[in-house]
Amino acid sequence: MSRVFLEQVGRTVLLMGNEAIARGAVEAGISFASAYPGTPSTEIVETLAKYANVLGIHVEWSINEKVAFEAAYGAAMSGVRALTCMKHVGLNVAADPFMSSAYIGVRGGFVIVTADDVGMWSSQNEQDNRWYGLHAFIPVFEPYSPAEAKELTKEIFDFSEKFEHPVILRTTTRISHARGPVQLGKLRKPVWGEFTKNAERWVVVPAHARKLRLKLLKRWSKIEEAVNNFPFNRIENPGSKKVIIACGITYGHVVDVLREMDKINDITLLKLSSTVPVPRKLVVKAVEDAEEVLVVEELEPIVEDKVKAILQEEGMSAKVHGKDMVPRAGELTLNKVADFLVKFLNVSKQSVPWLGTHQEVSIEVPPRPPTLCPGCPHRATFFALKKAVSKLKMKPVYLGDIGCYTLGVNPPYRVQDTCIEMGGSIGAANGLAVTTKQPMIAIIGDSTFFHAGIPPLINAVYNNTPFLTIILDNRITAMTGHQPHPGTGITASGEPAKIIRPEEIAKSIGVEYIDVVNPFKLDETAEKIAEALKFVEEKRKPAVIVSLRKCALLVISDARKKNIKIPVYRVDLEKCTACTRCYNVFACPAIQVLEDGKAYIDPMLCAGCGDCAQVCPVQAIEPTIKPGKEWEELWW
Amino acid sequence: MVKMNRKYKNVLAVGVGGQGLITFGRVLAEAAILNGTRVLTAEVHGMAQRGGSVVTHIRLGDVESPLIPLNGAHVIVSMELLEAARYINYANRETILILNKRLIRPNIPGVKMPKMDEIIEKIKSIGLKTVILEADELAEEAGSYVSANMVMLGALLGSKILDGFVKLENVEKVISKMPEPWREINIKALKLGYSSYSKNSY
Repeated sequence: MSRVFLEQVGRTVLLMGNEAIARGAVEAGISFASAYPGTPSTEIVETLAKYANVLGIHVEWSINEKVAFEAAYGAAMSGVRALTCMKHVGLNVAADPFMSSAYIGVRGGFVIVTADDVGMWSSQNEQDNRWYGLHAFIPVFEPYSPAEAKELTKEIFDFSEKFEHPVILRTTTRISHARGPVQLGKLRKPVWGEFTKNAERWVVVPAHARKLRLKLLKRWSKIEEAVNNFPFNRIENPGSKKVIIACGITYGHVVDVLREMDKINDITLLKLSSTVPVPRKLVVKAVEDAEEVLVVEELEPIVEDKVKAILQEEGMSAKVHGKDMVPRAGELTLNKVADFLVKFLNVSKQSVPWLGTHQEVSIEVPPRPPTLCPGCPHRATFFALKKAVSKLKMKPVYLGDIGCYTLGVNPPYRVQDTCIEMGGSIGAANGLAVTTKQPMIAIIGDSTFFHAGIPPLINAVYNNTPFLTIILDNRITAMTGHQPHPGTGITASGEPAKIIRPEEIAKSIGVEYIDVVNPFKLDETAEKIAEALKFVEEKRKPAVIVSLRKCALLVISDARKKNIKIPVYRVDLEKCTACTRCYNVFACPAIQVLEDGKAYIDPMLCAGCGDCAQVCPVQAIEPTIKPGKEWEELWW
Repeated sequence: MVKMNRKYKNVLAVGVGGQGLITFGRVLAEAAILNGTRVLTAEVHGMAQRGGSVVTHIRLGDVESPLIPLNGAHVIVSMELLEAARYINYANRETILILNKRLIRPNIPGVKMPKMDEIIEKIKSIGLKTVILEADELAEEAGSYVSANMVMLGALLGSKILDGFVKLENVEKVISKMPEPWREINIKALKLGYSSYSKNSY
């Protein structure tokens, strides 16, 4: 995210889709941006935060998507331009204010970015948030490339302001995390807003809301009309018998495949960047001479269904294809697109040079799932937790949550028996601890706790629900790439902030058993967890353990900055008995296996946490240099 | 025989999360822009990065989609051997393989690992032009193992497959904007990689 705001206007630079959106928002003159981090949306606000002070705009990491939405919406109510960004599932959290915002509308342009994770690269589902647009009467715009993402962002701020209505910019992973050339435009200065009182507009009591609903429907008709002339939609090569409608990202895929087939100048292509509402007149014009139409969109048949309805209403007889040819699950690849275009256009497979059988290597390649990093404090907590549980001969259910620690689902730990959504660990424990006789342990990260873990913990105190909550506190939102949160002590734009401690929250809401542990003291942590579990069992009340150690990636990066040497550990091969405990039971990825089964610590990967030395039953593991005080302090 | 369009080049870079594949793609793509070459990349962040299998697509030239099709890579650059084997389905009969001689065990208890020599032999047996170098050692020689990705980038340029798309000097220009000591180390790593491509070709 190097030079998004430092290069000269007019220059073409390489930007990630998310950086391009950030740039577009500032070229549109935003005064306010807020988000909760979530892949693949994170880098938008991260980029803005880095330059917030230089640009004179307010940029914040909000506590969750609902608050981020409300904050940005509040800004837009005051007449300034505002941006809020979230991953697709984040909009579920923000759905309440989202629905109201369509009724109430805005004064300043208000863009809601939903970065949908088609293909579930880093998410629990692949919901299609264009439904939300239909549901709320909020228009949805979709770019197909980083360059278009910037221009589209700018354009829809104008659109939003013109209709005094919120708009959605929907990206997918392959837009947000794609990089491409983007030409930089002029930046527009932020302005101050002023809230103008008008209860009939801003207060959705039923009497007002009924009127606002009628106004909303009128506005929607105007928006339906306006998208017909939206400059990012266009018809290429009009007049062919077969027409392809390409939505958002799929335009690039379709163009590339048509080029390979040498059909790019023969087929009518409707490029659609406004997918909700579907521009009726434009569709009718594009399919005028068509016998067959193929709607190419990822996930749900949102445009397809609408195109079918439009053609029916207009008395047009072209056959409309969509999900009968285009896969509904997962992201589209060029191979998938080529497969269905070969069918739709009735051309030979040979017309696409790369369709056909591919190379194979005749060995069984083991899978490589993501894993907790070397030195990750979560691994230490999990190890101690398993030890505590086995000592008590307990068979608990581990209620998991969203974060790096979800990786605890994998062997050898298997300490995520459920994972539902942000905060769902403590939430579901409120039911499971009541309807079963099994011990329940909710495992949640610090950022997730702040995001959605506090209300269900209050619920547990209020209802006296017996379960243990372990808060894995690494002082940062780690999975999304280290964004600060209320426990970090710094704001998004780098100002010092008050540190809010999870154990103090627990104390203030009345949790009676709270302990803060250092997970790198494996035995001590195991004992403390066992004590807490005994408390829950005996007193039938909630208990909280905060396991506090910084994210190892941060520690390593700090060490490099401060020129502190990492006390890498090594295995004494004379002593090692090849018992496999360090690499199979503790399972640190820095520990490789030699041919005789003995352990070897890869110095390129070792984070110097020293846990393996505690785990080794024959003291064969030792640091190459003695860990100093300044090294220890980096972890707090 | 696969006849690939000549107006673009597809570079698939694969490896293990943490090996610097995102930087690899970014430096190459920025150099392409300095070259006046159109470029699109696609990469993986978040959950997929934590020591998991990672792929970066880099497409140079006349393309609109950031994704490389299976069977469609002109070159596969692999930072790790298992990952080279995993993504071999992106190769066709003309694809060049540039591989780092490194094997990283997936962090799965009791995982059955093929031996390094066996993987290399099996990859070679499919008959593609294959270049294997010790990028980590060369990076160490340049100043830090962290720069192994730049060794691989150097080797990619040394292959000449990107001639007309990206010049070595433009890659150096991009690297020269990095802070010290990385500027110096990465340039050295790049050059070591560049010259070792032909040394390791056969």
